[in-house]
Amino acid sequence: MNKIAATVDNFGRAILENIEEMGRILLLFLSVLMWMVRPPLKLRLIFKQMEFVGVKSIFVVVLTGTFTGMVMALQGYYGFKMFNAESLVGSTVALGMTRELGPVLTALMVTARAGSAMAAELGTMRVTEQIDALYVMAANPVKHLIVPRVIAGVLMLPLLTVVSDFMGILGGYFVGVPVLGINSGAFISNITKLVDLGDIYHGLTKAAFFGLILSLVGCHKGFIATGGAEGVGRATTEAVVLASVSILISDYFLTAIMF
Amino acid sequence: MSSISTEAKVGLFVLAALIILAYMSFRVGEYGFGLKKGYLVNVVFDNATGLSKDASVQIAGVEVGRVEEISLKDGKAMIVLRILPSVELEKDVAAKIKSYGILGDKYVDIVPGTKGETYIAAGGNITRTGQQADIDKLLSELGTIAGDVMKVTSSLKNTLGGEEGEANLKAIIENTRSITENLNRVVTQNDEKLNLMITNLGEASAEMRRTFATLNSIVEKIDSGEGTIGQLVENKDAFDNLNQTLASLKSITEKINRGEGSIGKLVNDEDTVDNLNASLKSLGKSMDGIQRYVSKSEQFKTFLGYRGEYLFDGGDGKGYFDLTIRPREDTFYVLGLVTDPKGRLTMTDSTDMSTGVTTRTETWDKDGLLFTAQIGKRFKDIALRGGVFESTGGVGIDYFAFNDNLQFTFEAFDFDSDRNAHLKTYAEYRLLKHIYLSAGWDDFISNQGGDSPFIGFSIKFEDEDLKYLLGSVPIPK
Repeated sequence: MNKIAATVDNFGRAILENIEEMGRILLLFLSVLMWMVRPPLKLRLIFKQMEFVGVKSIFVVVLTGTFTGMVMALQGYYGFKMFNAESLVGSTVALGMTRELGPVLTALMVTARAGSAMAAELGTMRVTEQIDALYVMAANPVKHLIVPRVIAGVLMLPLLTVVSDFMGILGGYFVGVPVLGINSGAFISNITKLVDLGDIYHGLTKAAFFGLILSLVGCHKGFIATGGAEGVGRATTEAVVLASVSILISDYFLTAIMF
Repeated sequence: MSSISTEAKVGLFVLAALIILAYMSFRVGEYGFGLKKGYLVNVVFDNATGLSKDASVQIAGVEVGRVEEISLKDGKAMIVLRILPSVELEKDVAAKIKSYGILGDKYVDIVPGTKGETYIAAGGNITRTGQQADIDKLLSELGTIAGDVMKVTSSLKNTLGGEEGEANLKAIIENTRSITENLNRVVTQNDEKLNLMITNLGEASAEMRRTFATLNSIVEKIDSGEGTIGQLVENKDAFDNLNQTLASLKSITEKINRGEGSIGKLVNDEDTVDNLNASLKSLGKSMDGIQRYVSKSEQFKTFLGYRGEYLFDGGDGKGYFDLTIRPREDTFYVLGLVTDPKGRLTMTDSTDMSTGVTTRTETWDKDGLLFTAQIGKRFKDIALRGGVFESTGGVGIDYFAFNDNLQFTFEAFDFDSDRNAHLKTYAEYRLLKHIYLSAGWDDFISNQGGDSPFIGFSIKFEDEDLKYLLGSVPIPK
């Protein structure tokens, strides 16, 4: 009897905790919005975060994008060969990259690189009571620590996605035309014919959302970290898992809304 | 690298990403960043299946615009096209919905109009539309064709398959072989003649060469301006005259075109067109009449026939000459003459005035001809005949077998109270195309000793000339 009650109790607590977590993230988002419009904006901090989230992620994003495009071209080729429609490989790679794989893979890579770092940084500051020190100095930690990170995430993700899209198509072209022997004119003309501006812009909108999600989750998990070095590690892991899962889930709904 | 500031790094990255984005947008975009240029033109299609917004609008395969809007108007598809400002559409352009390949996307194809026509203004309409055969229609038509092909092959199978077909094929091959054998024989036998012919041909061609040489010299003379024709060809005046004639002809046709003069009025008047139409219609009716008449004549057939019979018992011969008129497949009339060795019987009753006894004398006129006039109707393989048989009344029945190649006939006539009726039965077999053999029994219940088996042969053929002569004679239906 006691056991059953305990199970129900745990289950209910888990649900409650999750709901609380969502509520806290939303509240954090609102306070970020609030602090964002309140001058002065700390441009230096923003640029620093932009460099960290954007510029330093270029290499990993280029690598992921290129190889994703290459492998898509290879896989698509075997499928389209059955219908003698090899020239459609280009448009398949381009559509797949711009609509889905570009934004999602970029967001996941940035989550792993920068989202985790945000959680670890803020978590360390929290457990070493630096954040409390900021409060003491009447400097709001949301304004100084979180707002620049969120702005950098939202602005940099679409730009990284553009790079990823382009490199993916380039990788697809490299595999499709010289390696698999698809006609280059047909390859490119099918891309321009079948890919719309909307495909690219919707992908970029999604990327901006993903940037918001990963920076918010990373900051939140770090901001509420407790329990020393162990707590910082836990916060980092939780931030990456929660951000990745949220990105994939929200991707479905964003796609359903936009396309 | 430490000299590069954070801001510069971020700025460079943003710049690079924006350049890539701009490049990609230009490549896939519609007139660059979706800027709306060009003017709108409306066109109404019966069916716009598969056409989507932003679909391409092309002239001769070159994109000149996009589909702006698709909506329903009076149960038809109303399409608004956005056409590039540099492209002008004549009033009589035609729009068609086409697709790239069989499975490809749909696009609007515009067929250019006449040069010099006025152009469609912004917001105007394209009035001429067409529909390309779409895949559904194509497939259904293919289905019908396949059905037809199947019918043909199955009927071929019925004809050629089976033992009968095989036998027929074999017979055809045999016939071909015998024909080639005959041909071979003919050629070998006429070897000398053929040689002679070829020699003659050779001589003829030599003669021809001389003729051509002469012709050539004549032409050369003309070319150099010798003789009358030569002068005509070389003379500049002749050309000028011709040019003038052509010019005046041109002015005449222009006048006609403008409706000047009586011919012009005639050509440009609406009434003329109506009259012409009416004339053509009545001509059509007349043609129908002629058609009916011709087909009647086609159906109408006349046959001429002669049959000779040898009677074994009497050692005599009987001859029949028949004209069969068949206005329709199932009706026929037979007119004919018969020569009978017995001759024509004439009876005269003479009464002796003193005794009051009437004596009947029967005289046979050996040279007398007997007449045949019958009407007949055919029901599938059986034909019934009635009328005059050898100058007496009677009836007959024919049974046809093996595609009319074999005919069984039974006739009964000469019903007289004094003697038994004249019954005759025989079979007739078509030996060759026009030659028939017959055998039967004539007058087999005769009590006058006239019964005799006989054999005979006959010639029958269809007469085309008589057919047309008689085809015009009205025949009671």
